[in-house]
Amino acid sequence: MSNIILSVEGLNVKFSLRGKVLHAIRDVSLDLYEGETLAIVGESGSGKSVLTKTFMGLLDTNGWIESGRILYQGKDLAQYQTEKEWLTIRGREIAMVLQDPMTSLNPLKTVGAQIEEALRLHRGLRGREAKAKVAELLTDVGIGDPERRMRQYPHEFSGGMRQRVIIAIALACNPKILICDEPTTALDVTIQAQIIRLIYDLVHKYRITAIYITHDLGVVANVADRVAVMYAGDIVEIGTCREVFYEPCHPYTWALLSSLPQLGVKGEELFTIKGTPPNLFHQVVGDAFAPRNPQALEADYIERPPFFEVSPTHKARTWLLDERAPRITPPKALERLKKVGKP
Amino acid sequence: MAKYIFKRLGTSLLTLLIILTVVFVLVRQMPIEGYFDNFDKLDQAVIDARLNQLGLKDPILVQLKDFFVGLLHGDLGNSARYSVGVPITAIIANKAPLSITLGVISMAISLILGIPLGAAMAKSKSGFWDKFGTVFIVFISAVPSAVYYIYIQSFGSSLLGFPMLFNRDDWRTWILPIFSMSLGNIAYYAMWLRRYMVDEMNKDYVRLARAKGVKGSEITMRHVFRNSFVPMIQYIPTSLLYTVSGSIYIESLYSVPGMGGLLVDVITRQDNPMVQALVMIYSSIGIIGMILGDLLMVVIDPRISLARKESSR
Ligand SMILES: Nc1ncnc2c1ncn2[C@@H]1O[C@H](COP(=O)(O)OP(=O)(O)OP(=O)(O)O)[C@@H](O)[C@H]1O
Ligand SMILES: [Mg+2]
Repeated sequence: MSNIILSVEGLNVKFSLRGKVLHAIRDVSLDLYEGETLAIVGESGSGKSVLTKTFMGLLDTNGWIESGRILYQGKDLAQYQTEKEWLTIRGREIAMVLQDPMTSLNPLKTVGAQIEEALRLHRGLRGREAKAKVAELLTDVGIGDPERRMRQYPHEFSGGMRQRVIIAIALACNPKILICDEPTTALDVTIQAQIIRLIYDLVHKYRITAIYITHDLGVVANVADRVAVMYAGDIVEIGTCREVFYEPCHPYTWALLSSLPQLGVKGEELFTIKGTPPNLFHQVVGDAFAPRNPQALEADYIERPPFFEVSPTHKARTWLLDERAPRITPPKALERLKKVGKP
Repeated sequence: MAKYIFKRLGTSLLTLLIILTVVFVLVRQMPIEGYFDNFDKLDQAVIDARLNQLGLKDPILVQLKDFFVGLLHGDLGNSARYSVGVPITAIIANKAPLSITLGVISMAISLILGIPLGAAMAKSKSGFWDKFGTVFIVFISAVPSAVYYIYIQSFGSSLLGFPMLFNRDDWRTWILPIFSMSLGNIAYYAMWLRRYMVDEMNKDYVRLARAKGVKGSEITMRHVFRNSFVPMIQYIPTSLLYTVSGSIYIESLYSVPGMGGLLVDVITRQDNPMVQALVMIYSSIGIIGMILGDLLMVVIDPRISLARKESSR
């Protein structure tokens, strides 16, 4: 494997909300390798956005890093306090594509001006040079007639086109890492596939390391090299796409995969995970998923499982991998994943 | 865009015509004494002759037509009691410049102070400026303006030694009336700007600007401030017109010989032609302000002019 570009160690993030403290990221460690695309999946509220926001100093003002390190190029980003420090990272090192393209562009500035702003900040381009680069970027993201389009305002673009513009803005920053936070959730299905494809192509063309956040497991195999599964502010399983899809180890990953529509049988109800995620205002004891897991072990309620290594690239936090654990096998339905092929 | 503007102008013109007609008809219901400066001493024949001469015996539609024709020639009729026989336009032309001067100065001061105050409030969110501004705004909107006008006048004259009454040639006498006129607008602009800026600050595009590495101060200036000024722009012409058309209370408090006190004067003196002319002017001002505000918006907000066209893909 290639070099580690970003390394998260024992990260804890908390928010204070009406006098109570919410523990949003619970002791997360993660290595990101140069050039890879890592997908982060998990239910709504599992902490995917919060985790990646800490890499750019974009936590909401009521949140803070309680402990842990975020190592990037020999510096610990978790120690960064001032805007000045973060400005050395935001955009130029790590850029972000946000979820909602309809509202993420300034409605009163031309699309060209908004791309140019990033070019000026991170590449020092101005005037005619900048214009030429804007046109090039627009072409890159698949927007035709760039000379005319750059003089238009966001409302003259459809949702999919705006997301392309936002991707162009991210590229204009010339980042080493690109975080895509559910970039297609707000778009309709046909457009989704195009945008996913576009991100995939560009990330490879410019050799950018990418983090792709989604709660749609279906797209993961199309874009990512590795997958991290998050549950209740923790990464419960991580491995290559192949490993996580075909040899999942954590009961939560099983449940998540079982609810894939591809595995549904005509006439039968689709599998859904019962219960709700734990309340992060309270301290979580043991395996956070245990209360929703009908086959939970006693140990799951007592102590948080460590990461067990399944292979050098595959790890899962579940007592099932302990040698003392009873043999519990993944649901039969998951066998079908192999037949269906890529989920 | 041109089509939109014409449509907007068309509807406004129609509203204006309706308002003028309504005022016209209402004034016809007022006692006819209002057309004479010595009604009691006249006998019926003289009265009838004069009413005939003024066209007031004609059918109402004919009167209305005559009125609009006069209006198109810039003729609002003559004063009947306030300043007998003098054309109303001349009276206004004599009084308006002073009110306009005071109003423009006050407007400039309000913008120069109100806008930075609003911006500072939005930036300092519950810091010093926000608290200071909030207290100021609450005070200005809660206390009836007449009360603090009087305090300003008495403190200004007793503590600072400014003359109580306005005198065109003494600059010190301009200060208190202009200051009083500006307070309300300062509070008003600060309040709205703060609100619009806080709204804008929470928008997604601000997040994206932060994520792409734009400095906080630059985001405030280039994105937030500029965008929150758009909804403000809409109100500024109306507010300007009302300010320059004179403050009734302040002008009478300091005896400023401007437009503001005129309406009260002509109503108490029952000068029908002048009441009609002034009510029409004041009600037109509201409409004209709204049209100007809308047009300004069209000019600066790219979304509005094209809102009707289907967005291209
Ligand atoms: N500003 C905040 N104040 C309080 N709690 C917050 C704040 N931001 C996030 N949280 C909490 O942190 C947890 C993780 O949120 P996060 O937005 O990372 O979820 P997510 O995995 O991105 O979900 P989604 O798929 O809905 O985007 C949630 O429980 C959320 O309620
Ligand atoms: Mg999220």
